[in-house]
Amino acid sequence: MLRLLVLLVIVGGGVLQSTVVAVAGVGGITPDIPLILTVLIALRHGPESGCLAGFVAGLLQDATGGGLVGVQALTKGLAGFGMGLLVGRFWVSNPLVQVPGLVLLSIAEGLGRFLLLQMFHYPATFGDLMLHVILPQALYNGLIGTLCILAEASFELVGRRTWR
Amino acid sequence: MRVGRYGILLAVLLVSLLLLTVQTRGGGTGRAGELVTIAVTPVQSLLVRIHRGALNLWANYVDWKSVRRDNATLHEENEHLRVQAMQAGETREENARLRRLLVLRDRLPLATVAGEVIGREAGGWVRSLTVNRGRGDGIAQQTPVIVPDGLVGRVVQVHRAAAVIQLLNDPASTVGAVVQRTRTAGLVEGDAGGTVRFKFMARDGASVAPGDLVVTSGLGTLFPKGLPVGRVIKIEDKGSALFHFAILAPAVDFSRVEEVLLVTGQTTQDVATLFPSEG
Repeated sequence: MLRLLVLLVIVGGGVLQSTVVAVAGVGGITPDIPLILTVLIALRHGPESGCLAGFVAGLLQDATGGGLVGVQALTKGLAGFGMGLLVGRFWVSNPLVQVPGLVLLSIAEGLGRFLLLQMFHYPATFGDLMLHVILPQALYNGLIGTLCILAEASFELVGRRTWR
Repeated sequence: MRVGRYGILLAVLLVSLLLLTVQTRGGGTGRAGELVTIAVTPVQSLLVRIHRGALNLWANYVDWKSVRRDNATLHEENEHLRVQAMQAGETREENARLRRLLVLRDRLPLATVAGEVIGREAGGWVRSLTVNRGRGDGIAQQTPVIVPDGLVGRVVQVHRAAAVIQLLNDPASTVGAVVQRTRTAGLVEGDAGGTVRFKFMARDGASVAPGDLVVTSGLGTLFPKGLPVGRVIKIEDKGSALFHFAILAPAVDFSRVEEVLLVTGQTTQDVATLFPSEG
């Protein structure tokens, strides 16, 4: 049941990314919702779920976005696995670690994607991509991640008050 | 049998690399990619409609709040009128867009298929649109895609009922083009920053100037001759370099494209006169 829910969240995130999120860009930059969801899933369910969630999310983005199918599946799978491994080793449950962690992971995922695409003669230069795509998107992801964490904390607070 | 965490990682790595290898050897994305798209396309269409509906609802709500202070009768009347006006305005805009598309379609000496945009990828790595027309509608790879303002891009992936269009400002996009006034030939390329550049031989392009219209060259059989691509806004003179670059303002505002024409036929005629030439 939980796995089905995780799958639904990931597929829903992928579809949102190509429809609603695509028109909510700031200066041509959109947040990577599937990556944010992958990180949240990895933080809560560990490296296996993070890896599978990242793989499915990336595959979906590859298939609908028009790029090489497998690139994002690989980088997001690795990102989910890596973030899942960190759970319990560092203070990843602390929001002050989660948000910068998400930004750094977004940059790492972008770098991984660039290196992988280099093997397929991707035409854009590293400097251009870093300046116009990877860094702005990582910051945008951090902002959305912060909102997610604040929303989660608010729900928990409301939940506790209701139970009292 | 329980698969270890590294087993899952290994499986993900192997499947991803296998998919990449199959594509680079010319195998395409195959049935797996197609199945994903078939499953996702109806959901994308539905979500786009819900999104547009939500925007309309929000606009209605804001209007409703602004007239709330009026008396009840006027308020009700006003609300009805505003909702109707908004719906009419929305319909009028849509009609105007579709009418322009239809006029172009009738004028063009080419077979075309109209399509609605159901998905967008604007993250920067890839810039594409997904439309609700695919193999079943006679769409093939490399089909040129246009709107009344000019060239949008080309189809790079075709599925049964959907197609992915590579936009002109995608980093991997290149289109053969000429400056309409001077006939200077060159290549229009996208880049990671989202701008569109016209690359031309320095010795041929001395008189290229801001304001010049760049249109498709028609060389090769892919794009019809004369489709507006963009206007020169700046020349980047690299001194003694072999090539110069002109930064273009694209003829089409890609973020506002909602309906497109997919050009399924071919012509050798210059179609530049069929497009508006303001600016």
